[in-house]
Amino acid sequence: MSDNDNTHFGYREVKTDEKAGLVAGVFDSVATRYDVMNDLMSAGIHRIWKRFTIELSGVRRGNRVLDIAGGTGDLAAKFAPMTGDEGEVVLADINANMLSVGRDRLMDRGVSGNLYYVQADAQYLPFPDDYFDCITIAFGLRNVTDKDLALRSMHRVLKPGGRLLVLEFSKPKNPLLSRAYDAYSFGVLPNIGRLVAGDSDSYQYLAESIRMHPDQDTLREMMENAGFLRCDYHNMTGGIVAVHRGFK
Amino acid sequence: MNDIPNGSTLEMPALHTAGLAAAEAAANAALRLSPHSVESLRALQGQVLALECTKPAITLYLEADGEGQLNLRGVYDGPVTTRVRGTAADFAELARSDDPAATLINGGLVLEGSSTALTSMQRVFSELDIDWEAPLVDGLGDVAGHQLATMLRGAVDWSRQAAGSLRRQLQEFAQEEARLAPPPLALESFYGDVQQLRERSDRLGQRVENLRLRLERLRDR
Repeated sequence: MSDNDNTHFGYREVKTDEKAGLVAGVFDSVATRYDVMNDLMSAGIHRIWKRFTIELSGVRRGNRVLDIAGGTGDLAAKFAPMTGDEGEVVLADINANMLSVGRDRLMDRGVSGNLYYVQADAQYLPFPDDYFDCITIAFGLRNVTDKDLALRSMHRVLKPGGRLLVLEFSKPKNPLLSRAYDAYSFGVLPNIGRLVAGDSDSYQYLAESIRMHPDQDTLREMMENAGFLRCDYHNMTGGIVAVHRGFK
Repeated sequence: MNDIPNGSTLEMPALHTAGLAAAEAAANAALRLSPHSVESLRALQGQVLALECTKPAITLYLEADGEGQLNLRGVYDGPVTTRVRGTAADFAELARSDDPAATLINGGLVLEGSSTALTSMQRVFSELDIDWEAPLVDGLGDVAGHQLATMLRGAVDWSRQAAGSLRRQLQEFAQEEARLAPPPLALESFYGDVQQLRERSDRLGQRVENLRLRLERLRDR
């Protein structure tokens, strides 16, 4: 964030109170094609990234799990059978369209019973203190206006001993990979977006927002500042994506 | 920044996870065609097996769920029912073994926890009896699918019998005629002696160490 009144929306500087509306516009536009686009853009690798995140979650029967920015419910669908009838999974998203697509998708797949849907802002989570055993946020933190505020809110609702997992695009470690990734993000991604989702601007924003997101070490520091302990991260696919983990 | 609980390290988590996902999908596809194995696996629900391969260094965790499906994980920090450590060759020997209990005792694997879960899991896969008929009938129709499945079943049964018979004959030849290998009982007795010798030499080493320490203490006075 550049100062208290302004923040970034991709490469653009915008008023802080405008960002949520602009991000909502992006996700309203892509909600129905979100899953197809994820598969196309990552060649299906996003499933592997999410699978590893689930492995790191340590979720067991009876646990309470919060999946923030859960979108179309990829993680929540896996957590629901892991927590069982005695557990609880909350799929939260600030965007009503994404939440609606996720709910329809999971209901069609028969995932129900211990799964709840909540429209919520990650910065002001509407849950009691010390409530969840595990919190995940996959490809959502970079869209949050005030990331520090969101991390503190997550820390508040997490039980002592619980863990937060942040799966997010990050900075590739290899300069060659970084250049190839830039060419792909700014040359290919918006075109795929235009052809498949009929919207190149949203995918231009995606590429820009990834570049503006804090790198691995900065995000770990932000988690530590929010109160998380034993913070670490795992780079995946050369650092294109990283999963950060911290405990309360 | 890649240290993971339980002492394992993942250098390339995405690659490792992709490999496990592929292996899990293949194992579950095979299990779906073997209803008996699914039932046996369902009985193992909640038991977690940690397989720690030292060469190459890979750790994986196997867990059966209530649907009789197998879950493979590279990371697991919950309680483990059975932990087995050894080289890839040791694990391959266990997987091929007709008598997993004997292989565990005599082989190079180190086992912690209950051996029952491990031998039960090994049995599920060694007794995997894939019914090809359903997918073939789905793909080729009732008549052609049934004929092909019958032929396949016959071929698999014949090759199993032939392989078993060949193994028995080779074993008999190697042990009785050519005297190239000792009989299993003699081998087990030899392994037992080696084990005893190993324990005795460990104890002797410990005694010598104790004596050395005592001598050093006496010298210091």
